[in-house]
Amino acid sequence: MKLHLGHLYPEFLNLYGDRGNVLILCRRAQWRGIQVEVTPISLGDKLAPGAYDLLFLGGGPDQEQGIASADLFAKGPWLKEAVEEGTALLAICGGYQLLGEYYRTASGDTLPGVGLFAAYTEAGNKRLKGNIAIQVPELGSEHPIIGFENHGGRTFLKGARPLGQVIYGDGNNGADGTEGARYRNAIGTYLHGPLLSKNPHLADYLLRLALRRRYGEVELSPLDDTLEMATNAAVYKRFLPARGKW
Amino acid sequence: MFRRILAILAGRLVAFLCRCLKKGGTSLPGFLALKLDPDLMKGLIAGYRQVIIVTGTNGKTTTTNLLASILRAAGLSVVTNSEGANMPAGVATALLGQRGEVAVLEVDEGTLALVTSQVQADIVVITNLLRDQLDRYHELQQLAGAIQKALVHTPEAALVLNADDSLVTSLGDGWGIVRYFGLARTPWSQESTREVLEGHICPHCHQPLEFNFYHYSHLGDYFCPRCSYRRPRAEYEGRGLQLKPGGTHFNLVYPGGALVLHTPMPGIYNVYNILAAAGTALYLGVEPATIVRVVASFLPGQGRAETFYLRDRHITLMLVKNPTGLGVALRTLATGRQKTAFLLAINDLAADGRDVSWLWDADLTPLLAAPRSPIICAGLRAGDMAICLKYQGIKEADLEVIPDPAASIDRLLAEPVQEALILCTYTNLAVYRRLLLQRGARSEVTSGTSLPGVS
Ligand SMILES: [Zn+2]
Repeated sequence: MKLHLGHLYPEFLNLYGDRGNVLILCRRAQWRGIQVEVTPISLGDKLAPGAYDLLFLGGGPDQEQGIASADLFAKGPWLKEAVEEGTALLAICGGYQLLGEYYRTASGDTLPGVGLFAAYTEAGNKRLKGNIAIQVPELGSEHPIIGFENHGGRTFLKGARPLGQVIYGDGNNGADGTEGARYRNAIGTYLHGPLLSKNPHLADYLLRLALRRRYGEVELSPLDDTLEMATNAAVYKRFLPARGKW
Repeated sequence: MFRRILAILAGRLVAFLCRCLKKGGTSLPGFLALKLDPDLMKGLIAGYRQVIIVTGTNGKTTTTNLLASILRAAGLSVVTNSEGANMPAGVATALLGQRGEVAVLEVDEGTLALVTSQVQADIVVITNLLRDQLDRYHELQQLAGAIQKALVHTPEAALVLNADDSLVTSLGDGWGIVRYFGLARTPWSQESTREVLEGHICPHCHQPLEFNFYHYSHLGDYFCPRCSYRRPRAEYEGRGLQLKPGGTHFNLVYPGGALVLHTPMPGIYNVYNILAAAGTALYLGVEPATIVRVVASFLPGQGRAETFYLRDRHITLMLVKNPTGLGVALRTLATGRQKTAFLLAINDLAADGRDVSWLWDADLTPLLAAPRSPIICAGLRAGDMAICLKYQGIKEADLEVIPDPAASIDRLLAEPVQEALILCTYTNLAVYRRLLLQRGARSEVTSGTSLPGVS
């Protein structure tokens, strides 16, 4: 069994330890005897929609994101076709925003997005920053997804379903209790950095989505996640407010 | 005027009380005096012959202290904030003390404008701009822009800039007097880099830069494939670098001569600190022999890389605050032939940076190859550190998660090895130093370079 992973703009969209997610996906596949081939996909690269099982898109500083977004926009139709055909995708923070319909800047300009997620983003004043926990019922696990968010933009869903519901933290916009977006096997989220490190249940969920297209339902052999889940529980409890925000 | 005199008197009284109470209190006098007179620094700085500001991400404290030591050895009376208190209150506190002929001020790169709006500098030294705590300065280009605005307040200053850092050199564009320091290709230079990069965009045409080689992070010999932008020629250039156990050797080639320098400080990052300090001293006309002598004996202040002895044990305690610092510390210190015990103590309090995602941006590969006993992960984010090491390829059996500082250090000391390395984030530093001293460890830092007034 072999997993084809495409890492979009690894040299530009690499803020906050994002690349850790690619490493985690590789290791968790390899530990189960699944081969992984990681292909960097960058400016001007031509793409075949069926080539990848899983695509990863991180966040970057403004200038780098600007360079990547022009190219990503050109790749938009291919990207949408790939997702329609069942390719799994994880987009984080800036990458998540670029896949929405548009981004409205503080000065009122509208920058078009790829339009994969039925969602849009508006510039906000204060950055939404801090530890965050969300509930993702689809994972079939009582354990929350935990992480750290740091974003100026506020994302509003207009039809897309959220990845999860905020337990504490701000999520998409700090107002409606939603976090992230889903479309088919694509996930967008503000939980940045090495999101999958303390959430092996989400990592395995993504691996199953990715393998499904080529191999159908794949049973992943269990791994020893004691360290990951103990850390998940400890961090979750440490930042849990006395009374939940939502 | 009365307001300023009152502020100065109040500040000095608080400083005196702090000393009596043996409190560190490194910024409190300046903080209070600035409350009474927000323009205080403007008055205090008048009358200095030379004012030198040192700023940048890494190496500020070592560069500041080394430059101050060189200038003192050259016979000048020097005022400096040697305790690393580099926010405006810390700078004001330094200036409230005894006056001198020369002020060497370490200034936080994020609040530089608050200082330059009051203090006209003769020289501004910029060490580097590396990815630091991301929740404080979330983008380096924004930071470079803020520094550029801060420099406008002090238009007469000569800039001493790191030629190998494209973000830093872009600050010299169109400036009056600029001197560059840099490091020529070394046997350790790499054609590509494993580290996550920032600042690799041409400041003129905003296209990706290309590199002939990297020293570390985005420092190296870069050029733009589209326009004429490239690494400037360094007036103060390190050549012939040799890293050896017990010290570093290199030549500093400058207009009109060359110095042969030996330093007990390890690592390429300290070579940069020396190039910055020695280059500035040469620019000021200090005798080369004085520079050679001070560099040969200078050890950094406590906590940057402080060595302790405990029975037959040699323990290095080092502050790490960003991925570059952590990667460089491991590349420098985890290369021994001797079996080493490692302790990584990671906190996420405000002074550490709340977000520990940066751990995943560091190059931890030197740990994979190092002869070592189990790696102990400690601090509030011990689990995050351990998970990161697990996925980098360290076997789980070789990892121990012991969040409690005292328990973690006792576990470290139970290892039957002679070499131990403790890497910790800011708020753990004083904790581990105290725990080591309580267990009878002796610090190698001599009274001359340790911090005054910190008990
Ligand atoms: Zn250019």
